[in-house]
Amino acid sequence: MNQALTPTPHRAGQIAMGAGALLLAALLAFGAVAIPSDAGYAGVGPDFLPWVLSAALAVCGVLLLRQAFTGGYRDMPEPSGAARGDWRALAWVSAAVLLNAALITTLGFILSCSLGFVLAVRGLRLSEGKPGGAAAQVLRDALVGVAIAAPVYWLFTRLLAVNLPGLTATGWI
Amino acid sequence: MDTLSHLMAGFATAATPLNLLWAFAGCVLGTAIGVLPGLGPAVTVAMLLPITGQVEPTASMIFFAGIYYGAMYGGSTTSILLNTPGETGTMVTALEGFKMAKNGRAGAALATAAIGSFVAGTIATVLVTLFAPLLAEFAVTLGPPEYFCLMLLAFTTVSAVLGQSTLRGLTALFVGMALGLVGIDQISGQVRYTGGVLEFMDGIEVVLVAVGLFAVAETLYNALYEGRGQTSMNRLNKAHMTRSEWRRSWPAWLRGTAIGFPFGTIPAGGTEIPTFLSYATERKLADPAHREQFGTTGAIEGVAGPEAANNAAVTGTLVPLLTLGIPTSVTAAILLSALQGYGINAGPQLFQTSSALVWALIASLYIGNVMLLVLNLPLVGLWVKLLKIPRPQLYAGILIFATVGVYGMRQSAFDLFLMYGLGLLGVVMRRFDFPTAPVIVGLILGPLAEAQLRNALSIGEGSFAVFVQRPLSLTLLVVVLLVLLVPRLWGWLARRAQARAALAHGA
Repeated sequence: MNQALTPTPHRAGQIAMGAGALLLAALLAFGAVAIPSDAGYAGVGPDFLPWVLSAALAVCGVLLLRQAFTGGYRDMPEPSGAARGDWRALAWVSAAVLLNAALITTLGFILSCSLGFVLAVRGLRLSEGKPGGAAAQVLRDALVGVAIAAPVYWLFTRLLAVNLPGLTATGWI
Repeated sequence: MDTLSHLMAGFATAATPLNLLWAFAGCVLGTAIGVLPGLGPAVTVAMLLPITGQVEPTASMIFFAGIYYGAMYGGSTTSILLNTPGETGTMVTALEGFKMAKNGRAGAALATAAIGSFVAGTIATVLVTLFAPLLAEFAVTLGPPEYFCLMLLAFTTVSAVLGQSTLRGLTALFVGMALGLVGIDQISGQVRYTGGVLEFMDGIEVVLVAVGLFAVAETLYNALYEGRGQTSMNRLNKAHMTRSEWRRSWPAWLRGTAIGFPFGTIPAGGTEIPTFLSYATERKLADPAHREQFGTTGAIEGVAGPEAANNAAVTGTLVPLLTLGIPTSVTAAILLSALQGYGINAGPQLFQTSSALVWALIASLYIGNVMLLVLNLPLVGLWVKLLKIPRPQLYAGILIFATVGVYGMRQSAFDLFLMYGLGLLGVVMRRFDFPTAPVIVGLILGPLAEAQLRNALSIGEGSFAVFVQRPLSLTLLVVVLLVLLVPRLWGWLARRAQARAALAHGA
């Protein structure tokens, strides 16, 4: 195969995906040891499928690694978007999701989601190559965030009786 | 006619003002998210699953079905005007539709897509009305071995046939099934893979996985890789078809329906294959004068056929869902989990135990199709305005809705962290071309298949021979093997023929 002579640009990532499949297979096997195999009337016990999946993922992992080492994944279309990732933008959006997760029970849904909105908008704007925006822009983003989050909060908690956390017990914020 | 009286009763339920309102809300929301990039019907329904705590089953299923349908109509608008298909099913529409729009025929492309969707959706709903009860009657006679083989078939086709690579599809499927293992085993009550974390005892919610893999991953991927991508929008003009365009469209609609519906019905769903098949058929059947429009200025048949095939296939997926409880698309899988949330088991008994719900749902499909035609043809200009929402605000807003869906499901901030982790998984899967649909199908169908497998083995007194001793399950197993092996054999034969031709040429 002369394909192997031209290394693909995604080789490291492809190897990592194959290794990830192997790691998951190992994790499944490690957990399966602890599951009793008592089958009762059913022929196979609760540890049967875990072992099958562990073996299947191990096979997939080995095959993925083989493809990655011999010229890259087969039938692989070029991934959409830029060749290099914009890690700064990803960091902003990640912070948006993670801070929201950390603060939602203390700040309440509306404020926590609005904060997440501001951070995510900033990250996405930076990814477009535009400036993140000064204080006035941040304030405007925050207002838009509240304008989305507040009606959503009222609609879901009041009309649809979905439980979402509030900052106060009034049910309005 | 028994079916007719059931259907009339269904219309009576679906046409109450409140249910009509739910259908309308679903159609509007569905069209909107179909038009907007970044959200599909599956993840929208997933995010709205918490409402099942308050809304009664019939109303919410009508609502969800409206979203499912509406997204198909809205998706074609974006494909034609922006060339960014949101769904795999509308990929083919973008091929010809975008070229038509570029040459000033956006209106005709939009009209043939909307009317074609209506024609196909309505015919397919009639077919569901006629065949689903018959199939349900037959399905009652199936035992666990047959069910297990049917699910095996669904697994194989969802992961191996769709997408570029069988290996990557199967890997995704196994990851989904592994996620499905977490929690308490249904049969033995054994706790598996919780790692001592209390939140894992109830298993991993499908909402969480769907929202993480689709909505959050889409946002993260966008920030990471797609910021600099430029899209240009085609000019919109009045949705109108000339007489000759009508004449060219309607045979394509009917052929598309005929191709799409069977593909949706067999537990081997997906809309990719039927839409591509329909496109190839239209290209072959077009008369020479029109054939050269394909791929150049845009041929209307190439929009009409695949759009019809897409809608017919989407409607067809309701047949295995309602009669067998087997989802063959991501959205169908989420609808199944909505039913499970109500304690309703989709399967052959559904037509007896929840007959009012099923028939109201079917009746609402007829109503929804009419609503969507009205919503989409004259009002298309209104929907297109949605595309003016700036990208950062759109995706950041999606994150707010993702929070509602995931947190609203069981009020746990832990789930929000998990959602982020699944979002990262979605990003690398997309980057390395691992399909995500098999993860969802594996997650939902995995535990069901495991239960059927163990029931089947207890029937066979612990012997795997039970699967080959029963004629129907043996047949299904053979089909599974064929689905896996034939494409490989085909490729091998083609390569060999090529090598031989090259050799003969060289000599």
